[in-house]
Amino acid sequence: MSEWLNTVLSRAQSVDDWLSPKREQSLALLRDAKWPNRKTEAWKYTPLRAVENAQFAAPADVEAAVTAIAGLESIDLVFINGRFAAEQSTANLPQGLHITQLADVSEADKTWALQAFAAIKPSRHLFGLVNDALATEGVIIDVAASAKITAPVRIVNQLSENAEAHNRVLVRVAQQASLTVVEQTIGDAYSFNTAFAEYDIADDASLEHYRFALQTDKAMSVGGSHFQLANRSQLNSTLVGFGSSLSRLDVDVTHGGEHAFAKLNAIYLLDGEELFDLHSTIEHAQPHGTTEENVRGIVGDSATAVFNGRIHIHRDAQKTLAELNNRNLLMSNKAVINTKPELEIYADDVRCAHGATIAEIDKKALYYMQSRGVDRAQAQVMLNFGFINELVDQMPNAALAEWLRPQLRQRFAKMEVN
Amino acid sequence: MLSIKNLHASVEEKQILKGLNLEVKPGEVHAIMGPNGAGKSTLGYVLSGREGYSVQDGSASLQGADLLDMDIEERAKAGLFLAFQYPVEIPGVSNLEFLKAAVDAQREARGEEALSSAEFLKMAREASKQVNLPIEFLKRGVNEGFSGGEKKRNEILQMLLLQPKLCILDESDSGLDIDALQVVAKGVNSLRSPDRGFIVVTHYQRLLDYIKPDFVHVLSDGKIVKSGDASLALELEEQGYAWLNKQPEDDAEGLQV
Repeated sequence: MSEWLNTVLSRAQSVDDWLSPKREQSLALLRDAKWPNRKTEAWKYTPLRAVENAQFAAPADVEAAVTAIAGLESIDLVFINGRFAAEQSTANLPQGLHITQLADVSEADKTWALQAFAAIKPSRHLFGLVNDALATEGVIIDVAASAKITAPVRIVNQLSENAEAHNRVLVRVAQQASLTVVEQTIGDAYSFNTAFAEYDIADDASLEHYRFALQTDKAMSVGGSHFQLANRSQLNSTLVGFGSSLSRLDVDVTHGGEHAFAKLNAIYLLDGEELFDLHSTIEHAQPHGTTEENVRGIVGDSATAVFNGRIHIHRDAQKTLAELNNRNLLMSNKAVINTKPELEIYADDVRCAHGATIAEIDKKALYYMQSRGVDRAQAQVMLNFGFINELVDQMPNAALAEWLRPQLRQRFAKMEVN
Repeated sequence: MLSIKNLHASVEEKQILKGLNLEVKPGEVHAIMGPNGAGKSTLGYVLSGREGYSVQDGSASLQGADLLDMDIEERAKAGLFLAFQYPVEIPGVSNLEFLKAAVDAQREARGEEALSSAEFLKMAREASKQVNLPIEFLKRGVNEGFSGGEKKRNEILQMLLLQPKLCILDESDSGLDIDALQVVAKGVNSLRSPDRGFIVVTHYQRLLDYIKPDFVHVLSDGKIVKSGDASLALELEEQGYAWLNKQPEDDAEGLQV
């Protein structure tokens, strides 16, 4: 048994609020849960030794100012070491957008939020259960029917040395409404966070979603984003990860209505001894759903990438279109990629494709660039970067793409080919 | 300026060029026509140095420099340009970034100073206008999602920016409607100058109505079998290439006499 998990169980005893009925259920599961080891399928390639017996001393008081993203006029919700920082957050909200702290929810909010909490996120995620039990800090975001919220909501988790944080986000996008959410974790010092977000996207509603897991070095992160789609709802999500000593992201999408559409693009760019692990599960429970999932990564030095992408097409989910693709570029012969696309299909009239490749450079493209006078080495760098930049180009928000691209470029430029 | 002598080349062990000779002097436009499989595209690939194309015999030099001995990019820097029949799509690499890298390389090779981003952008915009390609296409991935005609115009755009010494146009007219054809031809004609040579590979006389060649060659089975002036293209348009197959018989009869 993990000492750290023991402290979680004892700490959970002192949490008592309106979410307690839900927390109790998760705690019950957590008490029976086994600490993952190498034989645990979901954690086979991602060791948890660093957390198993960890003790996180309380972080020193910090006054970290979170920097804005140039060109992005966002509604900011800032958490410093797990605590909501009102002074750094946006107070004025556009009409149709309602945001409230978990501790301040009204009776009206409680009726739906209590139902949705821990119901969109599957209970199999160990650290999700931990978050269920401990997350007293967090926000509820509610978008009124037909409200088109143009300003992106940016949720920032900033962590400093020794911090342990369990934040929660619960989002409801009502019928025909639209919203953009950016989840961002910052801070490379030794810390640990479980940031889980649940999204309920109603009929004809749409969500544009970004999750930037760009913590590196000693920061440990084991969060997730989980989406429930209804009839004709639309999800466009972009996940970007740098590796760290432990960086794991769980993503679940459930097509709970007909004609729902989910586009998931994920990028990882790993260097040094970093680890990044993405587990995604798409549940097609209803007919006529579409999923396009493109996962691309560049892995350098002795870094490790883990990708497990599962698509589960239920018996009633006829006419499903699902595509899952994982392409990797290895920059070094010590780099490791564990990739496993899984298709499980119980409907007979569906179109599905999946694939995983360790990519090589496109020789035709290389020749084409050289034939214009571009040196082979430079052409290779441009093509390698282009391999992930292609997904950056697809980000609907231009300001975010402009902000992300130089960070990727800089990281990529430092990576050595060996 | 371009001197090809007795060129023998193969791809995947299949002999394609079987002793090709061609001299292109500065300011000249040479059209190469001929049936499918004659080796028209192979000539461009061999001269540009494409992987998988190997030369067994003969030589090719540009302004006295041995082309066949150079890396692909060195040939481009020496002034060779091949406008591709099927330009490659490169998603993720923006057209503008690609063009800038190519122009930078070209200027460096000529000993010229690199252009600033602003200077380059201005130049690229003007060139886009000239080939009737919307400015937005500069921001897209190289040829990504371009129609056939847009890809061809993007090739001409590159040619305008790079100002090569010898341009090979590989079926730049294929798949173009008459308007797009005129745009391509206009771009080429604007580059015609006393110190620049062209090889225009085409199936159809149509393109040559707009780009007037000084010489027309017929390439068949890896060799140039007939050369003439612009009127030869008109003849070919009327007669097709069937006569090529008859010729050996005629020769044989001639020998018997």
